[in-house]
Amino acid sequence: MSGKSSENAPSRPEYKTKVTTQTLNIAQPETKLPKQITEDVWELETASTGVSLGSATLGLGVLSVLGFFVFDAYTTLTASMAQHPIGTSVVGAMLAGFVGCFSFLSFREWRGYKQVNTAMHDAKQLRDMLANKGANLSPSKVSSILNKHGKRFSKDSYAAHCFERYSQQRQSDMTSAELLGLYEDTVLTPVQEKAQKVLNKESVTAGSLAFISPNNLIQTLAVVWISFRTIRRMAKVYGLRPGTAGNWKLLKVLAQNIAAQGIFDLATDEVANQIGGSLSAKFMENSAEAIAAGALNARLGRALIKLLK
Amino acid sequence: MQNTIASSLMGKTRAIASLTSNTLADVFSKETHRFTITGLSRSGKSMLFTSLITLLKSRSEEGLACLPLLRYLPPSRVLDMHIEPIEGYKPFPHLKNIESLEAGDWPEATEEAYGFKLVVRLKQTASIKRHLMPHSDVVFEFIDYPGEWITDIPMLNKTYAHWSDSAWAQLSSGPQQYYAHAWKQVVNAFDFEQTPTPELIQQLVSHYRDYLIKAKANGISLLQPGSFLLESSDFNWQDFGFTPLPSSITSDVSHLWYRAFEKHYSAFQKDWLTPLKHSIFKETDKQIILVDLFEGLNHSRQHLYQLKETLSHLADTFVYGQSGWFSRTVLRKQQIGKVAFVATKSDLIPENQQQNLLSLLTQVTEGARARFNDKPIQFEHFLVSAMQVTDEGANKDAIRYTNNDGQYVESTFEPLPKTLKEMEEGSHFPVPSVNVPADFKARILAGKGIDRLLQFLLGKGE
Repeated sequence: MSGKSSENAPSRPEYKTKVTTQTLNIAQPETKLPKQITEDVWELETASTGVSLGSATLGLGVLSVLGFFVFDAYTTLTASMAQHPIGTSVVGAMLAGFVGCFSFLSFREWRGYKQVNTAMHDAKQLRDMLANKGANLSPSKVSSILNKHGKRFSKDSYAAHCFERYSQQRQSDMTSAELLGLYEDTVLTPVQEKAQKVLNKESVTAGSLAFISPNNLIQTLAVVWISFRTIRRMAKVYGLRPGTAGNWKLLKVLAQNIAAQGIFDLATDEVANQIGGSLSAKFMENSAEAIAAGALNARLGRALIKLLK
Repeated sequence: MQNTIASSLMGKTRAIASLTSNTLADVFSKETHRFTITGLSRSGKSMLFTSLITLLKSRSEEGLACLPLLRYLPPSRVLDMHIEPIEGYKPFPHLKNIESLEAGDWPEATEEAYGFKLVVRLKQTASIKRHLMPHSDVVFEFIDYPGEWITDIPMLNKTYAHWSDSAWAQLSSGPQQYYAHAWKQVVNAFDFEQTPTPELIQQLVSHYRDYLIKAKANGISLLQPGSFLLESSDFNWQDFGFTPLPSSITSDVSHLWYRAFEKHYSAFQKDWLTPLKHSIFKETDKQIILVDLFEGLNHSRQHLYQLKETLSHLADTFVYGQSGWFSRTVLRKQQIGKVAFVATKSDLIPENQQQNLLSLLTQVTEGARARFNDKPIQFEHFLVSAMQVTDEGANKDAIRYTNNDGQYVESTFEPLPKTLKEMEEGSHFPVPSVNVPADFKARILAGKGIDRLLQFLLGKGE
């Protein structure tokens, strides 16, 4: 307060500061722009770099068989293993590689199988949390559960891609319900939609293959192949590898599908025989089988979605 | 009323008469939300608008991942977004504000009313509807106006004598008494026996305005008439100004000065406040009330109490209406009014103290909220940072920022009070003076709370 104004002027109080400030000798860090949502490019089949482990296993297997043939031929010719140690060691090393890789693949199948069960448990926990909007759970607890869920997604999967987006948009002041809502919007819903899209595409392919298959054996093989491919591709969307053997529940659905396809083939054959061997009868038979194959593949996919959702 | 209903129906009928799938979508799939953002001067309205446009544009045009909690407008459904003017309003100077930020200056305070519509076009997802109406529009109407105007609206319901007595009592108490002394001395020394000539009136108004300016600079929120603070005010306060006078004069209705100011006050009400209330504060179903708690925290507990009193006085200004006649009567859409009390600049305190700030906000709005107890109004409190200008400090009680001298500093806060009562007498929390960061766009996109606020106002209570 100015001293000039008056003696009666109420004196302005001096306030005690509750904030202390010090100068820092560093520059302010730059904030980066958020990533673009439209960069939602994720390819189902990623281009492999170098030789994959599967190819190596196959290659080593073939080499081992060949090696044994050569070795066998060689020993037959020389009739003395002790006299040819180098050849023996090379073939032995190749065989060891083959056995090692095969063991690793088997372990991965087992781990994939375990992963599906864990994912099913996680999915239930998430469904429960979403139903009660994370009530009674602190944001840090919810965040930790979601992180644990997200970390299980395999690298390069669509789910991992979505989880990265979730991580970028997560903010420190979000409540439990908001974190769950964000996770639903950025991970659960897009993954579900993508899985549905992949399944639709696979079912169309299954139908097409069934339509063009010349006989029942080829048709059954095609259905088996497309079924495994559907499982693999959808698992890739979900970021979980159920393993080629997958889950027993899936295998059961697969077996049911093959049996149903077989029965359907017999029925359509019989109907076609009754009508006569005309081209239109063959066309009708194949069309019916195609629809059935597509529907059965969709059934398999839905079972998978139900498991992993 | 009859004319309004008839013209509304005629308008709809004319639009329906020229149907194509796109116009069908325009007629039936247009959802209009009118937002009135109310806030005292310096509450950050202009910066909030600038951020809001930047955020929505970056999200829809550049596809940048921001506003994660705005589930009402999922990015996958947004086709495009554009800004349209509102008839009778100047367009909001968004580009000018961005240029100011680029030049390192904060956007200038609003001195006149601006209006704009933000039209977000969404693609239709429902399978049948998709073919009939390929898109739907969500229209946001925003009005920005000087915060000084809002403090004047309650003057509409008072006579000059009533207003003068209450203004005189106010400037004699509370924190404003420290700044009103010079003005009171002028009044005491003034010879009110003189005939009120335009020159003498101008002289008195000028002294009163000096008090208003000084008090405003020192964080006083209840200042009337706020319109006198604006140089470019549409009301000619230079020729039709008035001031509060001691009750010895206002109690004598035959006093020449009373009659002169009473006349000017009536002109102020009739020519300025009445049209202002009708043009800006008209019926709306969504109100955002911005509160700058830092003005209080920066000064004293008394300032915070005064802010609470000001908000309580202003509560009558807020208009809580329903949707238009057509949607209410024909489409049977009954809307509940929504009010959001928003504390701006929340990034200026450490994150671990934001709960206390929210609690303080809840207490400061108590009086205002009491006014809509019997109305169908849903309300919520929010903390918002239109731009994340601060960074985390070395500890949880600290924040870092670049100050006005261009130095990168760290401020450590003692715990913020949870209630007004807890605010220690004679202490204050000086508000950080922050420079505009060079990476302001990224920091606007990193701002917090706007998505939560919009989701509350637009969502259906989920």
